[in-house]
Amino acid sequence: MRPALLLFGYALAVAWWAPPLLSRLTGPGVSPRLGLAAWLTAMASAVASAAAALALLIQAAVSGWSRLAEVVCRSVAGHACAQTVYTSAVFELALAAAAILAALVAVAVAWRYGRGVQRAQRRTHAHAEAARITGRGLPGVAAAVVLEAAEPAAYCVSGRPGTIVLTSGALALLEPPQLAAVLAHERAHLAGHHHLLIALTRGLGAVFPAVPLFARGPESVARLAEMCADDSAARRTGRGTLVAALLAMATGAAVPASALGVMACAVTVRLQRLADAPRRGRRARYGLALAAAMLLLAGLPGVLVLIPA
Amino acid sequence: MHGFGDLEAVIMDRVWDHDGPVTVREVFEELQAERVIAYTTVMTTMDNLHRKGWLARVKEGKAYRYTATASREEYSARLMREALDDGGDTQAVLSHFVAQMDGEESEVLRAVMRRLADRGPR
Repeated sequence: MRPALLLFGYALAVAWWAPPLLSRLTGPGVSPRLGLAAWLTAMASAVASAAAALALLIQAAVSGWSRLAEVVCRSVAGHACAQTVYTSAVFELALAAAAILAALVAVAVAWRYGRGVQRAQRRTHAHAEAARITGRGLPGVAAAVVLEAAEPAAYCVSGRPGTIVLTSGALALLEPPQLAAVLAHERAHLAGHHHLLIALTRGLGAVFPAVPLFARGPESVARLAEMCADDSAARRTGRGTLVAALLAMATGAAVPASALGVMACAVTVRLQRLADAPRRGRRARYGLALAAAMLLLAGLPGVLVLIPA
Repeated sequence: MHGFGDLEAVIMDRVWDHDGPVTVREVFEELQAERVIAYTTVMTTMDNLHRKGWLARVKEGKAYRYTATASREEYSARLMREALDDGGDTQAVLSHFVAQMDGEESEVLRAVMRRLADRGPR
């Protein structure tokens, strides 16, 4: 009984206290990969602990009715709990009803979650297929299609195979290196299976909208996934090019490499150089803090179970 | 040209390029001019496209005549609506390169760009 309560308490603590901590650690985006892993670890840890607590509770309920009744009764009423109370039929019935209700709620929640994620996946794959049939191919880029639309937009959508969708408006706006940056960014999303992470965490947010960890998690996961993809694209095409592509796509105005592109490049390169020296220490600090948080989140439930009753 | 050799896409390209309805035989003969392909493959694929709602068909004599249920432009518009309708009921998971910005945000960025451009590269 005690490990179950400890685990459940732990799950609640993580669900309420992890978001502010993780938001502080991952907000500046110092190491987005570790940050992403930390958010996912927190969510997985909370779900696994709550599920384990429930499993322990049900197991206890099944294996020792009278003993469980005694323990629950004692924990609520202390020594006022006489044997006549906890062996009474009413008390045992109430306890059985509570256990069955908890199990039913858990099953219903799991079912809703699975159905929500599955529906999102199906829509996503349908969108990818429709885009592949409707769009025209982009010469030399196997995974990309172009849709006829004036509005500049670029996105990727998972499916078999994953597809990068660009509008003709975006193609008209971007210079070739900037287009390469956009493609590298979207490819990083597909290679990192970011869609799956976003779909899985969004599903949790839909099922538990009142729990801070699951309400705030999906947005953070999506944001950190963007940063991971940015880092990957910047490594391939350079920061300046990526910045120019972002500016162009965000404002809908072309950013010619000759004018601002060069400026943006110069500015960011200088900023990067200036920021580099302290940055290394900063990254190590954030990395250490995130790694410690992850170890704690992943290890604590195990320790709680092993604590002798 | 489609990079994947995705036959459904290739066939829809052909159907959209035609003004009127087409038969499997006509599409097959066009495709045969540029690739090795079996008649039954074309037939099966067009049957699939009909099942999925991309093609409508009318029986004429022994063969079906196929037409697209919507133009390429209509499908593009539909996809864009779904892609840009953030948090709507579409629920598809798409990763946009940049999030859509409201007018004010976009104006601030444009102003920054203008200032940078005015200064010019040094």
